[in-house]
Amino acid sequence: MTQEMLLRQIIDYANRADPYPLYTELRKKPVRQEGDELFVVSTYWEIKSLLHDPRISSDARNLSPGAAGTLLQEEEDSPLPPAFLRLDPPEHDRLRRMAMRPFGPPETPRRVYNMRGELARIVDDLIDGFGDRKEVDIVDDFSYPFPVTVICRLLGIPREDEARFHSWADIIAAGLDPDPGGDPGEQRRATHEARTELGMYLSGLIDERSGAPGDDMLSALVTQQGPDGQMSRMEVLSTAALLLIAGHETTVNLITNGTLTLLRNPDVLERLRNDSRLAVPLVEELLRFEPPVQLLPQRTTLADIDIAGTTIPEGASVWLVLAAGNRDPQRFPDPDRFDPDRPDIQHLGFGSGIHNCFGAPLARLEAQLALTALAHRLDGPRLLDDPPPYRQNAVLRGPRHLNIAFDGLRS
Amino acid sequence: MRLVVDLNRCQGYAQCAFLAPDVFAMHGEESLLYNPHAEEAQREQVLRAATACPVQAILVEDTDEAPATMGEGLSGVR
Ligand code: HEM
Repeated sequence: MTQEMLLRQIIDYANRADPYPLYTELRKKPVRQEGDELFVVSTYWEIKSLLHDPRISSDARNLSPGAAGTLLQEEEDSPLPPAFLRLDPPEHDRLRRMAMRPFGPPETPRRVYNMRGELARIVDDLIDGFGDRKEVDIVDDFSYPFPVTVICRLLGIPREDEARFHSWADIIAAGLDPDPGGDPGEQRRATHEARTELGMYLSGLIDERSGAPGDDMLSALVTQQGPDGQMSRMEVLSTAALLLIAGHETTVNLITNGTLTLLRNPDVLERLRNDSRLAVPLVEELLRFEPPVQLLPQRTTLADIDIAGTTIPEGASVWLVLAAGNRDPQRFPDPDRFDPDRPDIQHLGFGSGIHNCFGAPLARLEAQLALTALAHRLDGPRLLDDPPPYRQNAVLRGPRHLNIAFDGLRS
Repeated sequence: MRLVVDLNRCQGYAQCAFLAPDVFAMHGEESLLYNPHAEEAQREQVLRAATACPVQAILVEDTDEAPATMGEGLSGVR
């Protein structure tokens, strides 16, 4: 199979439900050149070493024109400035440190930990919302609304505004997942409008909180005075929007992939029902086996890099296929087997190196609580479609719907 | 229970300090403080932290010895 065909097949929607055989093919050449300026990396150690290499940039401004976006639709221009996800050191490090101060250790070690009770309540409320139904769509009824509600509570969005926040998040997420039958211009316009409205809304809230700070994260971002100084209002805005966008679709897909995988492996589901501690290694194995972020398509090289017998020239676009690295048999024995008892599970699901997922501890708790609650509360759950229908998106891959049936709810 | 952090492996991802804040604490951005004789009641927290560690630097063992106070494990990482 030619290289070109292989990449197109990975992007091709027809292979969305099971791209893994294509990744096996891809790994036969750890670093593949596609056209003049695109290099695709698919083996564990090569991906990991590039994620820790300062000659690799996440800043779109370093990308040579024309290098990216031939196969993947580029993100539409955002009315917000790039947040630290798309910046390099030292700007990246300063902004990430300032965002971390009100989120995690050393300054705020308990913010995420203390959300446990609230997260469990949100999950239970969503399951109660199934009511008397014996069939639900796990995406629309459960895994989709959960992470947005969590980000709202984290940022301190007033309850009465949560519904608006949900609708912006929906439109922005839809923009990442072009509807093949829809009008692309129309969709781009809607996304732009939602981002602008979200920005204006947050901007108003920032004004409010700078005068009367609460103990939420937005207030802390606005008012903090640390060794790095203060965030500008634009920086607070783009950081808050990043938390929403980076933490949404990804977490939805982790919970949905998790539910799907459990229903395909009823013995593991039964074990989880009897012992909720299994949720912890189970979620790590899910992040290896069905990672919500399949590949990182936005890296570029700041210098020539020799790797696995290939030289990636300066200014090239590099795709790091995390999902292929996660199934590299050189790294994980029997990689295509879902096995929550693996003793060694250093997956690439949250990336690695300086951009490693900022929200990982929160995402872990969300997925652990959500999957445990489903296992406990659903009586006799089963899949109605296998494979389920997937979203278009090849990067943030996951089911669009996951219709399941069950006999009833346990309390 | 007894635990050890392999500080040669630790890279300061801080997942343990998020997930088991009663046992692990970051001291500045780069050093980790932990209680090597955590209380039995903290077992679940500790197991969460050990499983989530991206470099698998936390080793956990069972013992019956009395818990000590936080601070014994102060060490620099990276
Ligand atoms: C299962 C859920 C999640 C997955 C699989 C995931 C995955 C990832 C990955 C792979 C990266 C690395 C991107 C890169 O190297 O270019 C990343 C970065 C990031 N994630 Fe997540 N994420 C998840 C949930 C969250 C949540 C809940 C939040 C926010 C609360 C979040 C916030 C971020 C941020 C801010 C970054 C950028 C970090 C940086 O550039 O330094 N993520 N995530």
